[in-house]
Amino acid sequence: MGYQYIDHTADLGIKVTSPDIKGLFEEAALAVVKIMGGAAKHKKISLSVTVDGLDRVDTLVRWLQEIIYLIAVKDIRIADLEITYIDDTRLEALVKGIYSHSGLSTEIKAVTYHNLEIKKRHDNLYEVAIIFDT
Amino acid sequence: MEALKIERIDPYRLKIFKTPPMRTWGIVYANKVIEAGLEKDEALKQVANVACLPGIIGPSIAMPDIHWGYGFPIGGVAAFSLQDGVISPGGVGYDINCGIRCICTGLSIEEILPIKEKLLGEVFHRVPAGLGARHKRFKLSQKELKEIMIKGALWAVKKGFGTYDDLEAHEDYGSIPGADPDMVSGRACERGLPEVGTLGSGNHFIEIDVVDKIMDKKIARMFSLFKDQILIQVHTGSRGFGHQICDDYIRIMLSAGSRYNIYLPDRQLACAPIDTKEAKSYLGAMAAAANFAFANREMITYLIRETFEDLFGKSWENLGLRLLYDCCHNIAKIESIPWKGKSIEACIHRKGATRALPSGDARLPLRFKDTGQPVLIPGDMGRASFILVAGDNAKETFFSACHGAGRLLSRREAKRRAKGRSVFDELSKKEIYAIAASKATLAEEMPESYKDVSDVVDTISGAGVAKVIAKLRPIGMIKG
Repeated sequence: MGYQYIDHTADLGIKVTSPDIKGLFEEAALAVVKIMGGAAKHKKISLSVTVDGLDRVDTLVRWLQEIIYLIAVKDIRIADLEITYIDDTRLEALVKGIYSHSGLSTEIKAVTYHNLEIKKRHDNLYEVAIIFDT
Repeated sequence: MEALKIERIDPYRLKIFKTPPMRTWGIVYANKVIEAGLEKDEALKQVANVACLPGIIGPSIAMPDIHWGYGFPIGGVAAFSLQDGVISPGGVGYDINCGIRCICTGLSIEEILPIKEKLLGEVFHRVPAGLGARHKRFKLSQKELKEIMIKGALWAVKKGFGTYDDLEAHEDYGSIPGADPDMVSGRACERGLPEVGTLGSGNHFIEIDVVDKIMDKKIARMFSLFKDQILIQVHTGSRGFGHQICDDYIRIMLSAGSRYNIYLPDRQLACAPIDTKEAKSYLGAMAAAANFAFANREMITYLIRETFEDLFGKSWENLGLRLLYDCCHNIAKIESIPWKGKSIEACIHRKGATRALPSGDARLPLRFKDTGQPVLIPGDMGRASFILVAGDNAKETFFSACHGAGRLLSRREAKRRAKGRSVFDELSKKEIYAIAASKATLAEEMPESYKDVSDVVDTISGAGVAKVIAKLRPIGMIKG
């Protein structure tokens, strides 16, 4: 479970695996937090996040873009996140952390749709490969 | 899609044959060295994917600095019919009008060397760089941001941060018409407000170069270039403002996609027919981001000029800090192109490519009428950069040329290879002084991460698309 890097010439890619869709979306978001250097230890604030997508893949992109926005624009450093509701076109989550201007490590400009596909493997794990524009 | 059928046409061009569902063929500008490097990634498939889009005119083109992007390849150029063609936000990219400018100086290397480190340190202090860089000095109002969206570099000039002479040295005079602030989301504005005059991170840089070799004395003189002259290159774009606009419009195009029934080999190519509401809105928002980027580079130029003035105790005009040229790398524009013996208007997408207008083109300002447009090709930070001028064969690329060396290694592979080494020390041995907002960026951007720019320049000049005027050597840089 978790994520691993995949090589992409211009940008940055990760492959995420999880036994279920909720876990897959949470693992992908935690990967974004870690790559950007946007993690925190304390949970002083709690934010509700809701995203509506066109389908499962689009919902994933919008969810991850929301995490990037919270870190890069709203100066939130994330200690924990939990998806409280998910279907193919809607996701609701609670994000906990702190406000901080602490420096970040990697800029993710955007989550791309390039070859983005959520697959169920033979071992019943869900898998997705995501390319970020960095 | 079937396996690609590729054939070499001449020493500088490869042809990708049209196979279903491609609507047209592909042309890749590549010498044998570049071709050898193309096998391992998906860039050629991406050239073929672009060839599948409706209304494409002529071939799907890739420049010699081609590498694997998302949707379009980096180095991709494609023209689309205004009648039945499309516009694709992913075909422009997230960093709308990421571009390069070259500022000349009247100074020679001996005058800079004693203060090189101090100069770069001072510029680094004044131009916010790195991830999430925000400007504390230029605090803008929403009204000013709207003016920037519409006026671009002209906004900076009117505020006294630049000159009208600078505008003549910009692609489209530093302002793309048709910008519509009402088509820009509140979130894009929120991201853009603190970012005017900031460098950003990744492959963005400010570099001090010295003119190492002049290949065309006549045109070099007309560009006011001389041997051992100090030049400054600035590479950045529309920052989070542009990223947000691209992201917003890919979603809008995806939502609209089912209505227009367009086959997409890759969702990142989401697009809409040019005559639709979605396409028009995107063009208005994209022009706003492009203008933001022109203003951003003009403000950074102001800060560089100010630094030179403080260190040399003379005005920047006396120090000869004149803008040679500023051009876009990621853009879609309605331009005139030659097609089947006529001049037609088409929507030209350039993703990691630059415009290249040859001498005599009516769109050029007077100063470049006899020479053609300067084509700036920055290399990696350890080797060389080149100044070229557009050649007659630029008409076969819809007046486009390459924009850089092109990445060879992924960022991760670069970091892996840099482990245990000091990229800073390696550059120092070559008498190049580097300042980076992050050590990781310096490793990701180290020279071997990129193709040798000489092969890129050999290909584009061999194909007659552009002609080499001067070779530059880096002596110092700031990496975001």
